[in-house]
Amino acid sequence: MRFAHLADCHLGGWREPKLRDANGRAFVMVVDMILTSRVDFVLIAGDLFNTSMPSIDALRLAVEQLKRFKDVGIPVYAIAGSHDFSPSGKTMLDVLDRAGLLVNVFKGAVVDGKLSLEFTIDEKTGVKLTGMIGKKGGLDKALYDGLIRDHLETESGTKIFLFHCSLAEVKPKELEDMDAMPVSYLPRGFIYYAGGHVHVRDNASVGGLANIVYPGPTYPNNLAELEKLRHGSFVLYEDGKVTHVPIEPHRVVPVHLEACRSAVETEAALAKILAGVDVTDAIVTLRVRGTLSEGKPSDIPFEAISQSLVERGAFAVLRNTAHLSSKEFTEIKVKEGTVEDVERELIASQKERRDLIPQLMSALASQKDEGEKVVDFERRVRSDVDALLGWVGKF
Amino acid sequence: MLRGMIVSGEFGSLLVRQKHGAGFEVGELLIADQPDCRMLLQVFDLHHGSQLNDQTLEMVSGMKLEEDGSLDIQDGHLRTYVLAKVKNVLTIRDGAGKVSKSLPALFAPVRDVTEQDLSFLTKPKTPLLLGQLRSGSRVLNVPVYIDGQQAFSHHILISATTGKGKSNLTYCMLWDALDKDWCGILVLDPHDEYFGRTKRGLKDHPEARKRLAYFTADNPPPGARTLIVNVDQLVPHHFDGVMPWTDAQRECLAAAYRTYGSKWIESVLRDMPVGNIMEGTLAVVKRRLMQLLDADAKNGVIDFRGIFQPSGGQSTVHDIVQLLAEGGKVIVDTSGFSGAQEILIGSMIATDVLRQYKQFKQSGELKARPVISIILEEAPRVLNAESQNVFSTIAREGRKFKVGLTAITQLPSLIPRDILANINTKIILGTEMKPERQALIESSAQDLSEDDRHIASLDKGEAIITSTFVPFAVPLRIPLFDEVGKR
Repeated sequence: MRFAHLADCHLGGWREPKLRDANGRAFVMVVDMILTSRVDFVLIAGDLFNTSMPSIDALRLAVEQLKRFKDVGIPVYAIAGSHDFSPSGKTMLDVLDRAGLLVNVFKGAVVDGKLSLEFTIDEKTGVKLTGMIGKKGGLDKALYDGLIRDHLETESGTKIFLFHCSLAEVKPKELEDMDAMPVSYLPRGFIYYAGGHVHVRDNASVGGLANIVYPGPTYPNNLAELEKLRHGSFVLYEDGKVTHVPIEPHRVVPVHLEACRSAVETEAALAKILAGVDVTDAIVTLRVRGTLSEGKPSDIPFEAISQSLVERGAFAVLRNTAHLSSKEFTEIKVKEGTVEDVERELIASQKERRDLIPQLMSALASQKDEGEKVVDFERRVRSDVDALLGWVGKF
Repeated sequence: MLRGMIVSGEFGSLLVRQKHGAGFEVGELLIADQPDCRMLLQVFDLHHGSQLNDQTLEMVSGMKLEEDGSLDIQDGHLRTYVLAKVKNVLTIRDGAGKVSKSLPALFAPVRDVTEQDLSFLTKPKTPLLLGQLRSGSRVLNVPVYIDGQQAFSHHILISATTGKGKSNLTYCMLWDALDKDWCGILVLDPHDEYFGRTKRGLKDHPEARKRLAYFTADNPPPGARTLIVNVDQLVPHHFDGVMPWTDAQRECLAAAYRTYGSKWIESVLRDMPVGNIMEGTLAVVKRRLMQLLDADAKNGVIDFRGIFQPSGGQSTVHDIVQLLAEGGKVIVDTSGFSGAQEILIGSMIATDVLRQYKQFKQSGELKARPVISIILEEAPRVLNAESQNVFSTIAREGRKFKVGLTAITQLPSLIPRDILANINTKIILGTEMKPERQALIESSAQDLSEDDRHIASLDKGEAIITSTFVPFAVPLRIPLFDEVGKR
């Protein structure tokens, strides 16, 4: 048996058009490589899209690529992740499912207040698949709490479970504050646990469960991930062997500089570092931090530096100077991390509502879709928020 | 009900003649009403008194034994009686109980204590329910609370001979504390008994899903955490008190950490050189680490077979500390570990708890944080004269940072005197061994010098709580956990 496992594609993600384009091309590269690998089926463990209502471009890209699988008879089994699952319960995956482009394996019924999942059987291999959706703010914990496990665990045959959440026992040190669930929530007796949500590449065995696999995102989703992961990836599984396959539409050249001198000296130091780097077709990430003893951060011509890198052939230049300050100005302490990290920290401080806030933020951050009337947009947002407020703690 | 009358004695040891048939018991509470106050008395010893001399009594008993069993002394209820030694525990005036500083009047009648007499025992702001007040073997409808925040941060000792109810008391305390957000409790559970995996336990508490976390390496039930600890997170001082180390071995641990950082254990197991440490010392340290961490190293391949693993488990200790700092109750099942491994795990968590709370104090957050108590079974394993470790540090200075220990033992005499004195609250259950009673009496917050017999006579579930957070050494009855759980 051979299959591919991908997750966290976040199609439509990235604000910068060039990076959004790179993200899309990485997805196409994944599909290309899977098609040449002659797999039996493909798993998508959540977050195919970056939002529950993806843009036309993102939707078109997904449809085009999924159709390539369909055309050669490779079934795609998927679950909705925390990004492509709306608070009101809607997901574009259902549309793709109806169109026959993939099979949403999160299927079942609520029996006496408990969730009973059903298996989807892959016709060619006989593999039995099921999975659980991902929800923001750890709300999927309620689903796992109410999951009926017995029939899942005693079902005979080769079984695969798709999930989209962070698992406490395997989450990396740098994500230790992330909401996570214990591995014991996963039903036992499956040969492969296809994970998503955590943007790391991992293959773990915990508490008697083997092959708990995170493939990593098909493309890094922000600057910090570009620096850390350097490339996207997916997993090829063949007869028990798990291989993480790298996807690198562009090289990533991370540049870190600790600035403790004047703005002029910092600029010179940066120029010196960049002079010795091959930036051709690469994404260059500039992270400059520290406190300037003379001058201010705006004295460093970052725009011009970026422009010169582009002129030398760089595909894109991203920079982070959030931790660059000047002694001449009042220091503003900014907590280390991405926007999500800062948000998570602030939300964590809200003891009573920390589960609800991310959901509300997501619902309220929804953008008007192309062609959508203002009145419809307002109705949709209101409906999502109403559903969310009335839905907390329930299935 | 009139029970007796004060007939003589001195401060701290009054003699009360028992009214015929009144049936005094050791440990019983009594009230002597005074014109302007009530005095709370407690029986600490009983003996027979008689108007007849010893020779006459011996003669009467001989006649009853050898001749006529029905023979009796004329006016026996007047001529023979029970005398109780009592101490004046408190003076109750205007609804408040204060330490007694005077004697009750001679011939002052002594009566039963009632619930109204004890109305000064009010419920503290952060109450921890321990049981019902007990007078001898009679249980009164007076719940006994202790100020949980104060008691936990100033440490608690639970002492008893095996079978006298230490585990039951711990169960009851945990059950009551489970829904309280002012305390986080870590339970290192060597018998895997408190969660209730196969029987009724803390998992059945209505708030368990929200506030109880269970870490186990053995087939975790759904919702429980698999206990894995990343080996890279161990640092040399975690091994303090876990097992005895020579100076050379201790230096070897430190040097390996300096040389290889977080990969120091792996490096030692791979026979990597460590500065100028002798090969022999390295070999011994390697062997001891392998034994402690349940690891094996052959041909450069290291196999970690236990809870310490090279991958995963990177946030385990952090998660436990976070749960505790948010008022959670965390049970770590250590039943499958050696004693040394259990102490090592506890040491890792305790070190991070103390560090985190020191940071809270520096940042001004400490007041808003719950007190944390670490429950240690067989406490003398880590609280002893030989070991200097994080637990003895917590015992000595933890209260400044709202981190305390709940030490459970049947051998309190093995705990050093200075640490025992630092443990402010002692819950004393039946203790048959004299040296252990002596250690408890000498380190109690209240004067228990006359309570040796009382402690020896405590039945299963009966206890005395002595603490600066209760007005007197309170006798209490601890309910059975099964009854509490069902309620």
